[in-house]
Order: sequence, then structure tokens, then C-alpha cells
Amino acid sequence: MYISEQSKVVVQGITGNQGKFHTQLMQEYGTNIVAGVTPKKGGQEVLGIPVFNSVQEAVQERGANTSIIFVPARFTSSAVLESLNAGINMTCCITEGVPVLDMLRLVELAHSKGLHLIGPNTPGMLIPDKIKLGIMPSDMCHFGTVATIAKSGTLSYEIAKALGNADVGVSAYIGIGGDPIRGTTLVEAFDYYARDNGTNVIVVIGEIGGDEEEKVAAYIEAQNVNKPIIAYIAGKSAPEGKRMGHAGAIISGNVGTAQGKIDALSAVGAHIAETPWDIPDMVKQYL
Amino acid sequence: MFTIRLLEYEAKEVFAEFNLPLVNRLVIIRGENVEEKLSQFTFPAIVKSQIAIGSRKKAGLIKIVQTREEAITLCKDYFTRQVGTYRVEAILIESLADIKHEYYCSIALDTSGRQFVLIASAEGGIDIEEVAATRPEAIIKESISLTEGLSEEVARTVAERLDFASDLIPSATDLFMKLWKITKEKEAQLVEINPLVLTPSGIFAVDGKMILDDNAFFRQETIRDLQKKKLTDLEKTAKKFGFSFVELEGQVGILANGAGLTMALLDVLAQHGLAGMNFLDVGGGADRDRVYEALKLIFTMKPKAVLINIYGGITRCDVVADAILHTLKEFPDAPPMVIRLTGTKETEGVQILKDAGIDAYKDMMNAVEKLKGVIG
Repeated sequence: MYISEQSKVVVQGITGNQGKFHTQLMQEYGTNIVAGVTPKKGGQEVLGIPVFNSVQEAVQERGANTSIIFVPARFTSSAVLESLNAGINMTCCITEGVPVLDMLRLVELAHSKGLHLIGPNTPGMLIPDKIKLGIMPSDMCHFGTVATIAKSGTLSYEIAKALGNADVGVSAYIGIGGDPIRGTTLVEAFDYYARDNGTNVIVVIGEIGGDEEEKVAAYIEAQNVNKPIIAYIAGKSAPEGKRMGHAGAIISGNVGTAQGKIDALSAVGAHIAETPWDIPDMVKQYL
Repeated sequence: MFTIRLLEYEAKEVFAEFNLPLVNRLVIIRGENVEEKLSQFTFPAIVKSQIAIGSRKKAGLIKIVQTREEAITLCKDYFTRQVGTYRVEAILIESLADIKHEYYCSIALDTSGRQFVLIASAEGGIDIEEVAATRPEAIIKESISLTEGLSEEVARTVAERLDFASDLIPSATDLFMKLWKITKEKEAQLVEINPLVLTPSGIFAVDGKMILDDNAFFRQETIRDLQKKKLTDLEKTAKKFGFSFVELEGQVGILANGAGLTMALLDVLAQHGLAGMNFLDVGGGADRDRVYEALKLIFTMKPKAVLINIYGGITRCDVVADAILHTLKEFPDAPPMVIRLTGTKETEGVQILKDAGIDAYKDMMNAVEKLKGVIG
């Protein structure tokens, strides 16, 4: 989604432990990382990558057009703001815990500038064998025509891995992130792959809470999507009203229950997987 | 991540700070002297338990009393009540309102729409979700963008659509504006009044609910204060180390990473007739201390077995394996553990455990089968 093997990536927070570790893994995957940014640490090099004080400099000096953010939560809002103001086309925010009001402002800003934002609290995006912009395991799957779009990080690793093991190729793997306000919603990601010529099947991995899966169902109906859709919803056994880690995963009345989402999606023709490991066989029927 | 849900009396303290119309009220916190606190209050009154459950009325935890003596007996009884793991934290006593009509109003975060919504209905007091489901036309919804805010014009239109008498339109408008002010200033995800009641002396917020954004704790004193007093001891430990933690009712202790994967794991266990004793998402990038503290917390619950399921992304399997060995050294009597490690540094992680004579699985279903054997 808005990235390719040509993307020139800047890592915000490259000098931190997580930033450095995952920069190395992304580099090994083949991602073209052209710069790092850590305020007041400009002039250094990390893994042979030049570090700048600001995203603006990384854009001017190295032509960066894509960013990935690893800075601590309370500095994340300003890191995203900096990236958007520097005109970065796709900003991927790995850090979790950005306050809701900050995210609402940042999303409005991104929209007004025509820029793209994914996360926060996302594992990122992977176009297998081409570019990894994120923290997901590198060996999950290979390139193909099945898009995998997920709310949850680790659960979607599980599914991407199962697809890989079953020799099913993936056109893109997208984690939209677990924080309440997201730069890219499930529907927006779904919309992208519903229209993507390289994608023949879409796997949607949802979970209890919120109404994004219901909105995907409404989209499928309204846009008359005829690509096969496989969906899995986590949280069927969750007791009502318990907080399960994601703010979005709070069951409130009928909207947000696993059964409500399953009903909405199957009503518009999506195929529902009982467990994550059933997905590869279901997908194979449509390839 | 936690969201902070305020009890009614806490929400009303915020309402009072913003001058929302409230009836006379008195709060008795657990441990305070009931007789002394009630000595100045006028009866009849309504006595409301402050406990984090829905439908308190149905549970008999809200009652009208005619006399002080009745109130004292009831309060003492309420403080002994427990529903599930929740107990009555405080009691709110309020003057009775002469209710002519009940309305509903709230400002809520619409997460998928990435906006706030002012929700209002002239059919308040009863289950608003029921009204929304059966008579959606009875619910007024107005989107509020964060940058533009709620305009007085929109607030007034909503008041007019609720059919308030013309002399009440200004106070209803003012109330909606204040709800928005609270939302912004306290960083709330929900500010709700249900019911908002009409009486001969004007409108009053008779019940209130708020949910705050835990992520804003670093700049919101209210949130920090509430965090301190709201969480159970286990939850405090969880919070300190950055776990998402929920106590459940099964027999298997769970340590996993990622909320979605942890939920899927609980679903799979349920399909196999097993049940988790807890939900614990150890969070991204767990280090040795966090895994150690998470296991220690799980051990205190005395599970029959512990299932560890880690899919390493930002979390490294070698670090987790090392932490497991470290923990086992300190807890030689730990319950049996079934371990599943995969993802970042999985080969290293599995090897570390194997060298110590511990099997680890890369496949989740194998781990679940093994667990069934252990539980018997």
C-alpha cells in the first residue's frame, strides 16, 4: 500500500535499540533504507546509514519518501508530525500508545496534505520478496496474489506464516495496528486491495471490538466486490465487557461482538475461517 | 493498554468541576464512617452503589430510602456486596429529582470514523442501545471534528430537536458545549449522561459515565490519579510492566504476545475444551524482566499448567527463552509449562531451551495437543 521496492526509507529513532535492530532486519530483507533520524545525533552512521537531525534533511539529502517510526510513545506524535510536514508519502508508525486526540489531529493533517499514515501500534507492511517496512518476521511468506489485512500483529504473523507454509503467495501483508485511532482503517486498506490488480484473494483478520469489520462488510456490498474474501475474527470466547488489550476490543452491546462481525461478513459472501490454520486451504480453493 | 472507566461518582466530580447541573449529592468512600457522613443529608434519597458493573438497578444495588436509618442499614449492606471480582468502592447518595422526562446525551469517540459524535435522544433513561437498535430515528447524531469542534449552533439545533421548551434551550445548549469541553480537556473517549432529566426546576445530570484515554496519562493528572486507585494489585503489576492483563476463569495460565493472537489462542483452547485462567499480552519487545514478571504474576494465580505462546516480531525468541530459564531457576516448583516459540530468532530460542532439557514447539497446534496431555 503506497510502497514498493523503489521506496526510499528513513528510520525515525534509528539510534535506539529497537530502531537499530529492525533497521538491520529490514536491510537484510532488501529494503532501501537511505537515512536515519534522531534529533541531536545527526552526523553519525548506523549500519552504514547516515543519521540526520530531522526528516526534512533526510528528504533533502537522501530523497527519502517513506518513513518508519520507532521513537518512544510520548515523542511519537511529534515524530509523525515532522514526517508529514516533510512531505513523506507513507509514514509507518510502529510505536504504540499515541493519545487519541493527537492521532485525530495527525490523521486530519495527513488527509489535508494527501499523505498516507499507517499505525500507530502496527507491525507495518510487507510486500514479500520486495520490501519490508515493519517489524514482522522476515521469513513468513513469499510473493503472490493474496492480500492479508489484519488488525492484530502477531495473529497475522501466524496466518501469513501458515500461508507461506502452504505455498500460497502473498501480494501484501498489512497490519493496521491496534491503537484506537489508526492512520489507515481496515476499510481503507481493504479498499486498496479490492482495487489492486495484483491481488486476487483478500484475507481479513479482525477481532472483537469496534465496527471496522462491519464497515468492511458494508463496503463489500456497496462496491459489489467480487474477489473472494476469507475472514477470521478473534475473540469468540472472550467474556463480554472484559478489556482485552486493545481499546478497540471492548465489547459494547451488539456492535463489536465476534458473532456480529461473522454474521455481517458472511451475509455479504465472505468465507469465515474457524481457526487461523484453516485459512490456507480455504484460500487455495480460489487460486 | 487500559482504558480508564470512571465510576458514576468520579464522573460527577468532573461534571461538577465543569459546572454541569447536578442534584445534591454525598459520597461515602469504603472505610469512611457511614453514620457520620449521613448525618447532614436530607431524606428521602436515592442510594447508589459505586461498582464497575452495568445494570446496578437490576442487581439491587440502587434503591430509594425514606429515612436516614434505612440509608445507614442499606449502605452497610452495600459495602459487603461483591459482584464477580468487583466490590462496592463507594456509595453515592442523592436527593430525589422530580422527574418529568428522561433524555440521553453523550459525546463518544467513533474510532473507525476517526471523529467524535454528539449523541442525543428524547428517549433516555432506558437502554439506549435498545432504542438505537429498534428505533434508530429516535437517536440524534452529530459528528464533531477535533479541529473544528462543536459549534454552539449545532448544539442548539440538537437541543431544539429534542423538543426542549424554549426557556430550556439555552441550558441544554450550554450542557452540550460543556460535554465537548470535558471531552477535549480531560481527553475522554466517552462522556455520557443517561438520564439527563427534566424537572420543574430545570435539567439535571442524574447518571454519568466517562472513559478516559490511558495513553494521555503523561499529561493528564486526573488519569494518573485514577490509574493509581482503580487497578487491582495484579493489574497494577501488569500495568507497571506494560502487560495487558485480564483475569478469567479457566485453569491454564496464559503468557502470549499480541492481543489478537492471545484472543485466538483462547478461542482455540475453548474449542479443545480448555479454558484460560487469564489473558496476558506481554507486549511488544518483551525483555527478560518483563517475561519474568509476567510468569511470576501467572504463578500467583496457581494455574494447573502454563501455556507460553510467543510469535516474535519485535519480540525476540532467544530473549524469551533465556527469560524462561532464568524464571525456572527461581521457581523450581513452577506448574508444568508448554512452550511455543516462533518468529524472530526462533531457532536460537528453541535451542536455548533444548540445551536446558526443555521442549519448545514451533507449531501452535502441537503445543495445544501437548497441553491437553498435561492437563489430562
